[in-house]
Amino acid sequence: MPDKDIKIVSFLCNWCSYGAADLAGVSRLEYPADIRVIRIPCSGRMSPKFVLSAFREGADAVWVSG
Amino acid sequence: MGNNVTGSVAVIGGGISGMLSALDLANSGYYVYLVEKGPAIGGVMAQLDKTFPTNDCAM
Amino acid sequence: MLTLSELIDVKGEKGNFEIDILKKPRYVDLDLCIGCGACAEKCPGKADDEYNEDLVKRKSVYVEYAQAVPLKYRIDPETCLKLTKDKCGNCEEACPTSAINFDDKEETVTIKTGSIILSPGYKPFDPSQFDNYQYSNYPNVVTAMEFERILSATGPTMGHITTMPKVPVNPKKKKDKELAAYRKDPKKIAWFQCVGSRDINKCDNAHCSSVCCMYAVKEAIISKEHAGDELDCSIFFMDMRTPGKDFEKYYNNAQEKHGINFIRSRVHSVTEVPGTHDLEVVYADEAGEIQKEIYDMVVLSVGLEIPEETRNLAEKLNIEMSPGGFCNTSTFDPVSSSVDGIYVAGAFNRPQDIPQSVLDASAAASAAGDDLSPARNTLTKKLEEVPRINVVGERPRIGVFICDCGSNIKGVVDCAHVTEYAKTLPYVEFADEPMFACSQDTQDKMVEYIKEKNLNRIVVAACTPKTHEPLFQETLENAGLNKYLFEMTNIRNHDSWVHKNNPDMATKKAKDLVRMAVSKAALSEPLKEEKIPMDERVMVVGGGMAGISAARSLSAQGYEVHIIEKQDRLGGEALKLHKTPKGEDIQKKLKSIAEDVNANDNIKVHLNTTIESTDGFVGNFKSRITENGDSSEIEYGAAVLATGATAHEPDEYGFGMDDRVVTSLDLDRMLIENSAELDKMNSATFIQCVGSRDTNRPYCSKICCTHSVHNAIELKTRKPDMDVFILYRDIRTYGENELLYKQARDLGVIFIRYDLENKPDVRTENGSLVIKARDHVLGQPLEIESDLLVLATAIVPRKDEKLANFFKVPLNEEGFFVEKHAKLGPAEFATDGVFICGSGHYPKPLDEAITQGKAAASRALTLLGKKDNLFTSGTVALVDQEKCSSCGVCVAICPYSAPSFLEEGRYSGKAEINPVLCKGCGLCVASCRSGALHLKGFNTDQIFSQIFALDEVV
Repeated sequence: MPDKDIKIVSFLCNWCSYGAADLAGVSRLEYPADIRVIRIPCSGRMSPKFVLSAFREGADAVWVSG
Repeated sequence: MGNNVTGSVAVIGGGISGMLSALDLANSGYYVYLVEKGPAIGGVMAQLDKTFPTNDCAM
Repeated sequence: MLTLSELIDVKGEKGNFEIDILKKPRYVDLDLCIGCGACAEKCPGKADDEYNEDLVKRKSVYVEYAQAVPLKYRIDPETCLKLTKDKCGNCEEACPTSAINFDDKEETVTIKTGSIILSPGYKPFDPSQFDNYQYSNYPNVVTAMEFERILSATGPTMGHITTMPKVPVNPKKKKDKELAAYRKDPKKIAWFQCVGSRDINKCDNAHCSSVCCMYAVKEAIISKEHAGDELDCSIFFMDMRTPGKDFEKYYNNAQEKHGINFIRSRVHSVTEVPGTHDLEVVYADEAGEIQKEIYDMVVLSVGLEIPEETRNLAEKLNIEMSPGGFCNTSTFDPVSSSVDGIYVAGAFNRPQDIPQSVLDASAAASAAGDDLSPARNTLTKKLEEVPRINVVGERPRIGVFICDCGSNIKGVVDCAHVTEYAKTLPYVEFADEPMFACSQDTQDKMVEYIKEKNLNRIVVAACTPKTHEPLFQETLENAGLNKYLFEMTNIRNHDSWVHKNNPDMATKKAKDLVRMAVSKAALSEPLKEEKIPMDERVMVVGGGMAGISAARSLSAQGYEVHIIEKQDRLGGEALKLHKTPKGEDIQKKLKSIAEDVNANDNIKVHLNTTIESTDGFVGNFKSRITENGDSSEIEYGAAVLATGATAHEPDEYGFGMDDRVVTSLDLDRMLIENSAELDKMNSATFIQCVGSRDTNRPYCSKICCTHSVHNAIELKTRKPDMDVFILYRDIRTYGENELLYKQARDLGVIFIRYDLENKPDVRTENGSLVIKARDHVLGQPLEIESDLLVLATAIVPRKDEKLANFFKVPLNEEGFFVEKHAKLGPAEFATDGVFICGSGHYPKPLDEAITQGKAAASRALTLLGKKDNLFTSGTVALVDQEKCSSCGVCVAICPYSAPSFLEEGRYSGKAEINPVLCKGCGLCVASCRSGALHLKGFNTDQIFSQIFALDEVV
């Protein structure tokens, strides 16, 4: 589906995964531009409601990392 | 000793010990000069991959 | 912070030093460099990458690694073409901020300080001088430091293990190409221990480096994780030394769970198998038999060594050193060098691991501060406060700043377009596109814009909030806005830098991210940081050496301390000890320290005292104590738990049945009393690990090997013709205690190894005490008749669950207290305001207990130093009690004990959050089934607003 706009919503823990995404930048890694990051204070903050609502808003995938 | 002492400390070496000494001192009210011979602080610990015994990332 | 700087001279004395420091040129202006890396991209120069142990090349203008602090580039003058041959200069052209300065010069600066802390570190031993390991000649023999980089995800092979690690990944030279053809995934790797340690034949390092056993086990475990379980890992060792907290468990797991082979042996030589570059290892096993085995790679577990330049510096400063070049310190002042006012921390103090260095660091900080307490807060700055503007109830008026970051963002993302787009978003009053949002002039402009346009929310799209959020929040405060009215989104690290070949998508993503941030910002509210009142008194629980040390440091800096001791005198377990391994008389020293404490007006000692109850939290604790039967209450702001540990009561080896069988502490008592009994004896035997390293107590008690070896020397010195035997499993005389082990052997103490499966057998035969063991070299049974049997008993934790509950701190399964972080928080608990030191944390010798006591004091000082400035975070959870159903999930789930049930008032029985304890993780919010919990700053509606803003609303 190269033509379709894919949207992946990622919920990243401020202390680890968000920092890792920062480092990916510092290291100039390249990855597809379909990800939209939402910073959360801890993966403990995650609620199933967020996942469902992201899908309802048209997300193709939801990624929770912490 | 009297009151005429200088309220600052020089920490020579910016490895894990030096950095944490400097932080503790600065947070308890002393001015700190952290002197490191390399271009960045961090010392040998920054070169390590993981640390024992928890296998935590050294960074 | 002074980088690229070296100390060259010190004048003056304690309290007032004058220090000359040589600053070497960086050729890059620290204030201008933004760490973008445009210079390195254009740099043609090449040099060995020291950070990666020279396994790869880096540019001549470089940062050591991506997380370097400061993240500022530096030009290496030895390989830069401009500086060496006056050619090139590409970096100067490429730099967007004109930070390159080829005219940078070396300079000497003089600074004035009251104390000096030396933490110059160590260098890994260079094994090229050993011909039997062929490190210089064989491409498959590497040092553990090189292997560390090979394992690292940021290393030359991104963590993939291959043979030929020293050959470049893309070889250019003919020889390298030939070698690279042999590259393969290794199937068998061997580690050799004690390379450059415990060795005075081939090198001059008599000491044990203390860390290599553990790091070799770690590298072997991680190798198997990376390469798969089939990888065969063998560690060749003399004694396995894993005496630290949770180390023994790690070692056991390595054998049992990970299947790592441990081979007790001496390695003779390594030779290449002709035509393969595989390595044949020839070694002598424990019985002395020569064995051969082929490996794909050999890792040399190199020791820690003090570099020549550190020794020279120490000599210049008249600092006394041990033969190994480590700084001489006494047991009772473990971070003080021989020069008044100069302190020492880290590997220069002694070979030690990270947590021990961290403890040193804090201890040295408090010792350095003790000298200077009259001048505290004289050189540090205080910030002025700007009056706050009230924005509650106002319609959001958002200002958006889209940072170009030079060309870092603008080079990929169409920032002008994003800025125009931002202006069209709801509630956005104003949008601007600064070249560098973080520069001081932009900060000043931001303040002006906020005032001029009456902005009440700010969004910055730039780099990462993890480094820059505090800077912008400060700017908001300078403009009178609450700092939580700020939102940052990352269009550099998460966008322009990672999508540089797809500018259209990157611009689209930037717009999405800005839209999401704006919608979240619109819902942000000013948050209040509650001031935490701070009682400046400290309670130390336990009057042993660790607790006393903490109390003395705190009192030296002017704080009032209460010591709670359940016995009738100060000193704890140290009262039972004879001498330190350094030969210092413990009882004499203890007496003078106790007198000093009793005469100290800042320290109130409560003897025969127990704690009945404790309430409160950081800054505000209250305990009910019973002192000599009388009950009273004390209030304090911080607590140090120094309750120590006790000696194990043995139930084996005939203890309690034969008077000649005693414990280590009994022998110490005899030595203290200078007992005449000792002179009558002609032989003595020690059995190690009595109650340690077995199924009941799987941990190593750490101190017993050194203790027994030292006492064996005492006996031999008193009576040289006495026969002394030590029955051991591994001799763990780590660090420079190794010198004692050598001394004992030289004096004729006989060491006999035994296994857990073949413990010695002790019985009384015809009135004499007979110890039966097996000779580990000859494999023959042997019998020792002994006049005295000393059992080196385990150190047992107190398992004080009541105390743990009082302060809401955890105990591990063995019953020791669990510190905040095994590496970086070894003297404090995760619970704010509660600190830990001494053997209650883990068994440790006196010097380490004192270091930890001082470290705990230092950590407490940083807290007490914040009086008047101690605030809760604004981003904490809040209960809507109308909705709370009192189910208790939040109370049960919170790792920080922040939620509790209200006991009185209108909402009695409902939950409330103590903002002081709350860390703002949101676990309770996500778990609340009634929707009664909110997390300020990351509220459910704010996260939803970001989700809803995912797609552009047309």
